[in-house]
Amino acid sequence: MKGLFKSKPRTPADVVRQTRELLIFLDLHSGSRGGDAKREEKMAELSKNIRELKSILYGNGESEPVTEACVQLTQEFFRENTLRLLIICLPKLNLETRKDATQVVANLQRQQVSSKIVASEYLEANKDLLDTLISGYENMDIALHYGSMLRECIRHQSIARYVLESDHMKKFFDYIQLPNFDIASDASATFKELLTRHKATVAEFLSKNYDWFFSEFNSRLLSSTNYITKRQAIKLLGDMLLDRSNSAVMMRYVSSKDNLMILMNLLRDSSKNIQIEAFHVFKGFPAKANKDFQFIVYPRLDPHPVLLEQNLPRTIASPTQIAIQSETPNNWMVQNVPNDGHQAPQHHTLQRMQNQSSKH
Amino acid sequence: MLQLLSLLRPPSAMASAGGGDHAAGVGGEARYPLDAGSYRLMCKIGSGVSAVVYKAVCLPLGSAVVAIKAIDLERSRANLDEVWREAKAMALLSHRNVLRAHCSFTVGSHLWVVMPFMAAGSLHSILSHGFPDGLPEQCIAVVLKDTLRALCYLHEQGRIHRDIKAGNILVDSDGSVKLADFGVSASIYETAPATSSSAFSGPIHAPSAVLSSSSFNDMAGTPYWMAPEVIHSHVGYGIKADIWSFGITALELAHGRPPLSHLPPSKSMLMRITSRVRLDDAESSATKKKFSKAFKDMVSSCLCQEPAKRPSAEKLLRHPFFKGCRSRDYLVRNVLAAVPSVEERCKDSNQLCGCARGTRCVSPCRHANNVAKNRRISGWNFNEESFELDPTERPERCFLFHHDDDNDILEHEHEQATKPTGGDGDDSPAARWHGDGTEKRQEGEGVRDVVVPNLVSIFGSLEMQRGMVMQVLEGGGGYHDRSSNGCGGGDGETAGKEEREEMLLGYVRQLEQRVQELSTEVEEEMARNAQLQELLHERACENQTDSSQTLGSR
Repeated sequence: MKGLFKSKPRTPADVVRQTRELLIFLDLHSGSRGGDAKREEKMAELSKNIRELKSILYGNGESEPVTEACVQLTQEFFRENTLRLLIICLPKLNLETRKDATQVVANLQRQQVSSKIVASEYLEANKDLLDTLISGYENMDIALHYGSMLRECIRHQSIARYVLESDHMKKFFDYIQLPNFDIASDASATFKELLTRHKATVAEFLSKNYDWFFSEFNSRLLSSTNYITKRQAIKLLGDMLLDRSNSAVMMRYVSSKDNLMILMNLLRDSSKNIQIEAFHVFKGFPAKANKDFQFIVYPRLDPHPVLLEQNLPRTIASPTQIAIQSETPNNWMVQNVPNDGHQAPQHHTLQRMQNQSSKH
Repeated sequence: MLQLLSLLRPPSAMASAGGGDHAAGVGGEARYPLDAGSYRLMCKIGSGVSAVVYKAVCLPLGSAVVAIKAIDLERSRANLDEVWREAKAMALLSHRNVLRAHCSFTVGSHLWVVMPFMAAGSLHSILSHGFPDGLPEQCIAVVLKDTLRALCYLHEQGRIHRDIKAGNILVDSDGSVKLADFGVSASIYETAPATSSSAFSGPIHAPSAVLSSSSFNDMAGTPYWMAPEVIHSHVGYGIKADIWSFGITALELAHGRPPLSHLPPSKSMLMRITSRVRLDDAESSATKKKFSKAFKDMVSSCLCQEPAKRPSAEKLLRHPFFKGCRSRDYLVRNVLAAVPSVEERCKDSNQLCGCARGTRCVSPCRHANNVAKNRRISGWNFNEESFELDPTERPERCFLFHHDDDNDILEHEHEQATKPTGGDGDDSPAARWHGDGTEKRQEGEGVRDVVVPNLVSIFGSLEMQRGMVMQVLEGGGGYHDRSSNGCGGGDGETAGKEEREEMLLGYVRQLEQRVQELSTEVEEEMARNAQLQELLHERACENQTDSSQTLGSR
């Protein structure tokens, strides 16, 4: 008797369909407070479904995920607007379901159906979803969930390009400095991902948007009074500039005296970590960059430059010491380069450094 | 929570309605302000290498009491990403037995994490300030049950805590228990950090299930509580590593300190991977504590060498040991009432420093104990105390509580000490090393720099063990000399001695051989590592050119 009424096991596609129906219900009945009991019930059912999606995609304690099931799920998920519904309804879900949903969305970004990444195609056709995700940084309750989803979405090169070229890039300078540490760090992780993951796209973005981007970067991040902002920014600057694909941008950056000034100041920062990171960028200022420099720092041909890099930061307490250290052979050098006569502020810096070193 | 806070809030604060509204969060939870000015630090209640914990009040929330952990970002970890991941983990967990941060923000180069104030402090601190020989069994059940609930929740989330110990289990004044410190926790849903500077647009990895299988390869945790598979971590470990640590924590609560903690961490680690350790040590048998059969059974099931054979947290919750568990009030009456407040304890610990300079120490001074328990990996001290031979090997599979009748036959203790060690050392560890070798080859890419340092440390420990056996040799000789002197023994005695000595010599030779084997393995491993690194580098280069090509074609 029991066997007769036993419901057929649901296919992954069934679970997606049911999830979608529940999301639609939730979306439509969001305002009404009347049918609370019914809403609660639907909510519980939705949570169960999303958890099931997660266990299909990730496997559970006993079993590994089945490729065929993942394919079915992915196809059905992107056949209609389930992703949009899920993103829009996320703030209405409870914390555990939000986390499950985030993991489901993250996983779906990597699923392939007949060697195509369906998620990428879907997002390209629904780019406004990224706007929604980015604006999540303005809402403390969902920032971390939207942030995780966003980072997964920008794994797709075309999507990262969209975000880079959008006006949202400017907003990141605010998000990074939010007082809430979790959210600011999340935003800064996304920012870093955007500016380092897809090399060619990043190089193109930086050369097209050089002026506003680095002026913001210098004034708002590198000169920030916030320790974390400064530390993360100088690290990111190094990651960007020292990447080979950005060599053109690097040339442009190091040819500016103002940029050099900023770096010199960071070398004198009270934080050791910031000094070290600044030094990594600083040492990259190549000799050939621009003859305008009053002095430049460059590595002598050294058989073990890597060793040197590791040893040096530990020993520097101030730029003064860099100058001292640089006077020894086989080390980093500070050198005066003859220029066409105008007194740039760097000269004073050097003077000061020399004065300090003579005091010591 | 909000109701409680509004009760606490003085009328003046209530009047300033603006502040109150601002403080109220959407979900009915109080929203804590994100600036240092809103908090007043009351006193220091704990400190670590790079963090200090304060008791503080939040002024805008009617002087609600909180704990603030101030982490020195300049001194702590080189990588801010790790700090961020911990903060994120704490922000996204919600369970009544898991410590959740109210908020976190930076103050200069410090990160302030605002957390609920747990008035009775950690179980470790309770142990050392009132229960040096362990808690009563019924109290252990109360706290472990709540800890298990927290573990259940974490594991269900796919999160491994990786540092379960009494020091990370906090108790509030009402006896409620929260699991804390997610400094080394990891989520199996998060793949390797995509934010590393070497991130390249390589092929997107296919999803893989790692919920039960091995996925982590880095060492994390505190030595005495570490599971064997974490120690030789190249085989990876999963959520069952937490169950091991949970078992060790149970022993810690029972005896007042973790098993094998009289040994330096390296030795205790070695013993756990080379043998089935009898986790009961001399001290506990001296105090003759009696534990229930259910408790022994529960702990021994957690301390199975095979991770797969350890029960899940959920299953453990249904263990008879937790049936008929007492209420939290029981804990309050029997334990919390007997220890000084957190504030007083911290004052005492300040005086601890003073007692070296001759100041009279008011609190029970447990310098030696504390040093051993607080030590983290960074503070290893390899040649701290001379080795005391402990009869460690037992034939049973995963039993740890030895039966008291063992003490009867003291004379045979030395024989037992050496014989089974030799026998066991022959098959099990050797076999295990073989197994590891093949696994390693299969793992391929998964083997990373972690392996070599581990092997080197194991190698070092083995060499130490060899030294110990030599000591035993001498000690054994002395012992028998004395005995023969005492009873004026005949020739048979000396013949037996010679036989024994020969056996021991053989064992030493075996050990030497094993050390040799290991050292070649270490060498091989290093070469392989270098190869892998080269390969990785090549691949990175390839990928980079690939991706730039594909991008170019678009």
